Amino acid sequence: MDVVISGNLIDLCVVAMLLLSMLAMTTTRIAQLLNAFAVQSLFLAFLAFVVADSTGRSELYVLGAITLAVKVAGIPWAMKNTAVRLHAGREVDSTMGIPGSLLISAALIIVAYLVTEPLMATVDTITRNCLAMSMSVILIGLFMMVTRRKAMTEAVGLLMMENGLFLGIMSISYGMPLVVEIGIFFDVLMVAVIIGIFALRISRAFDTIDTSVLRRLKE
Amino acid sequence: MTCVILSLSQAALMIALSPLFAGILRKTKARMQHRVGSSVFQPYRDVAKLFRKSETVSKDASWLFRFIPYVCFGSMVLLSLMTPFVLADVAAPYGDLISMVYIFTLYRFMMVLGGLEGGSVFGGMGSSREMMMSVLIEPSLLLSLMALSGLTGGSTVMSDIPPALIGMGVIVLAPALVLAASSFFITLLAENARVPFDNPSTHLELTMVHEGMLIEYSGRGLGLMELSSMMRIMIFASMIGALFFPWGIALTSSPADLAVGVASMLLKVLMIMLAIAAIESYLAKYRLFRLPNLLTASFALSLLAMISLYIL
Amino acid sequence: MTLGVELLIIIPVAAALLSLAMPSGKTAAVVSVACSAAVILVSLPICIKALGGEATEYGLWYVDRLSAVFILVIGVVGLMSAMYSYGYLSRDVEEKEISSKDERQYHMMFNLFVAAMLSVCIVSSMGILWITIEITTLVSAFLVGFYRRNSALEATWKYLMICSVGITLGLVGITLMYASSSHVLGDDPGALNWPVLYEAAAGLDPTLIKMAFVFVIIGFGTKMGLVPMHTWLPDAHSQSPTPVSAMLSAALLNCALYAILRFQMIADVAVPGFASMLMIGFGMLSLAAAAAFILISKDIKRMLAYSSIEHMGIIAIGFGIGTPLAVFGALFHIIAHSMTKPLVFFSAGNVIQGYGTRDMDEVRGLRKTMPFTAFMLGAGTLAIVGLPPFSVFVGEITILSGAVSAGMYHVAALTVVFIVLVFAGFTRNIFKMMPGDVATGAKVPRGLSRSLPMALLLVITLLLGLFMPEGVSNALWSIADWFSGAV
Repeated sequence: MDVVISGNLIDLCVVAMLLLSMLAMTTTRIAQLLNAFAVQSLFLAFLAFVVADSTGRSELYVLGAITLAVKVAGIPWAMKNTAVRLHAGREVDSTMGIPGSLLISAALIIVAYLVTEPLMATVDTITRNCLAMSMSVILIGLFMMVTRRKAMTEAVGLLMMENGLFLGIMSISYGMPLVVEIGIFFDVLMVAVIIGIFALRISRAFDTIDTSVLRRLKE
Repeated sequence: MTCVILSLSQAALMIALSPLFAGILRKTKARMQHRVGSSVFQPYRDVAKLFRKSETVSKDASWLFRFIPYVCFGSMVLLSLMTPFVLADVAAPYGDLISMVYIFTLYRFMMVLGGLEGGSVFGGMGSSREMMMSVLIEPSLLLSLMALSGLTGGSTVMSDIPPALIGMGVIVLAPALVLAASSFFITLLAENARVPFDNPSTHLELTMVHEGMLIEYSGRGLGLMELSSMMRIMIFASMIGALFFPWGIALTSSPADLAVGVASMLLKVLMIMLAIAAIESYLAKYRLFRLPNLLTASFALSLLAMISLYIL
Repeated sequence: MTLGVELLIIIPVAAALLSLAMPSGKTAAVVSVACSAAVILVSLPICIKALGGEATEYGLWYVDRLSAVFILVIGVVGLMSAMYSYGYLSRDVEEKEISSKDERQYHMMFNLFVAAMLSVCIVSSMGILWITIEITTLVSAFLVGFYRRNSALEATWKYLMICSVGITLGLVGITLMYASSSHVLGDDPGALNWPVLYEAAAGLDPTLIKMAFVFVIIGFGTKMGLVPMHTWLPDAHSQSPTPVSAMLSAALLNCALYAILRFQMIADVAVPGFASMLMIGFGMLSLAAAAAFILISKDIKRMLAYSSIEHMGIIAIGFGIGTPLAVFGALFHIIAHSMTKPLVFFSAGNVIQGYGTRDMDEVRGLRKTMPFTAFMLGAGTLAIVGLPPFSVFVGEITILSGAVSAGMYHVAALTVVFIVLVFAGFTRNIFKMMPGDVATGAKVPRGLSRSLPMALLLVITLLLGLFMPEGVSNALWSIADWFSGAV
């Protein structure tokens, strides 16, 4: 593929991922949030394919394919089912308003840029400029975990952080050795499953998955 | 000299065509909602009718009230003189992005004053809502244009932008352009009081923003205000066409280029009008308190456009 | 050498399956004890070889001197906890808090937990190290949430969330380290293996390594309980079954520490002095916060949890100072803390089950009601706050003298102040439970499975404090020289 075009495609994918992170900050329903996550993962998979094509690293195809299977299809589907079972659909669950969280996300992007700027000079991959974006996705995911109150949405924040992480891995080193990557992937899957299990237990014990009830353990 | 003539004729074209496009917008919307709708020339008739009628002015209003429609119309004419719609370097050194933003601000400020001048409750309500929105509109408008100028090398002179974008080739499809354009489009909807920010076809006191400010106007004043509103949406639409997606704009003043320029501009404006009509048919107006969400989203988009210039 | 290191994982995993298949909870507990004993037996030859200076490296595995210390600590703590679990859980079953099926599930997770922690110390690749640490979180989450009480669920949720976030940041650090090696090692598939990285450490990019270490210490520091990322720790320790608390405190925190140490060794070569500063800073912060919280604690297990944070802080300071003496002290402190803390936890577990409360204000007359437990708790308290005959004292005093001889007087002085504060808070809280009449209604827990591990641990910590075997001392000195030789 033409270098310019693949460069453009990479940039567009990365920005789309970041946009979806910000979009996820504005969602008020679990289904919307999961859709945002699925589409973000789709862009991640697409990015893996583009990078694989332009650098000739075939293991990235494998990674992209697993992303498609697990993060675009598997996890969102399973979590939607769980959400339906828990009747956790509609209400707003963020502790912060939408404008506020958008502005803080924007500030986080700037922070990510400042943090990663010294690093960009030291790596020489075609995707290195995605580094700041991936750091932003990580930070926004973290911010989402902090502000959300429901077990499910906190979990999606974690998964989005992990999307940012994979983006980062791809952007500075074209991916780790395949064994490690696949291991990390199944770990993520396990995390999602176990978080699902505990979300179910919490909803049974407290009759809600609003984690703001979990404030009793303190000094 | 040719520049002055071209610039004048461009302004004349804008004034002449803006009611037509307003009519097309209304007609398309009506068709999409399975109504017949009024003729596309109806806005011409409306404006003409208003110009013929006598004007009633509230006894509380000062001279400013009569003065404002002329300022509003004048600022729109000024913009259509200096912005490169058909030809890239029309009125070259005068067309500046920042001055453009402030002419829009002047227009809005005057309209807000006009709403307050009449002394009616609705006018005041419309004005305060408009100011609330403009606090959020203005930074995103500025930022998206700054991102655009950053992308093309940092010049804020409008006539530099189309040739620079065209010259960049395929690289130009960078995220910054797409993001800035989408932010600008949301600003277009907000500035021109379209759904989901405002409903242009209702006079319900709970919802109206723009119409609320015009409620005390009548006759020639109202006609001028209506005409400048139509011109404003036309200018915004052709600015997306000329600045963000400039392909087709005339780079030289040869007749063939100019013809292509006019045709492409009309086509682009038509497309944008159709898009607005589609949005208005499929979206409901937002509650007033949800408007900041959308405007902040627009702000975030333009900020992202700006940041992506530096990062990518 | 066939099937050497793998056995360390295979045995506990097999034991996990076996304990689930056992007819009763008690036999499952026996399986756990046997498994832990087997693990120690199998690991001994490998560890002795490694401590002799000969690293085992093949396939995915890598065991050297540093890993050997941690493997042995995990083995011993696992064995003691498995024994104590036998009595502790049977009591819960008697009181109908849990079913026999729960007990078998507990032992299954317990053995898996041991397997996960052992695997942390024996893998070669830093990427797989990350995976194994994440697995320890996932497995132990079930143990923390074992009593399905609301408060236990809350603790589990915090534990899962905070540690997952932390560990994700840790992975960022690993990624950066991998990127820093790409100049030197290129696309070598073994570029994440620790020995390869350590060989190449001098050529790694300093900027990337600095960033990487910041992320690593924040990420794995969350798991290790460094302040301010420690917030999950008191909740998880206080809500889990007591043997699990002991495992978390004495083995799991060490695993995270192990990961940090591996990175510190690389960072010390690539950017001398940078990691030390961070380690001392976080260590001092942990020590200070823990001292403050110990003073105001009411819940005995929360207090012990803060004590773990305190000791992790002291250990981090020791490694941060980085001279052979301080590193020797820190290594010794790891062992001392891991041998003493379970003793205190087990005594506390007896008190909790006897009195049915964790609130130290409600417990009176401990000396008359349960003399053995009272003795053990008293001895354990004196040991853990660092009084002379016990091993913790030796560790602390060595680290302090390391600090002084390295010229870091302020570090030494602050550490002493906080240790004294901890001493005051801890002894006041514990010893006010002792006097008073026999408590009515207390159900005194008895049994060999409880008293044997406690007695053994007391003997170990006392012996290590009084005289150190030549072999242990030599081995630790060789690690300390190796570790700090890079500085």
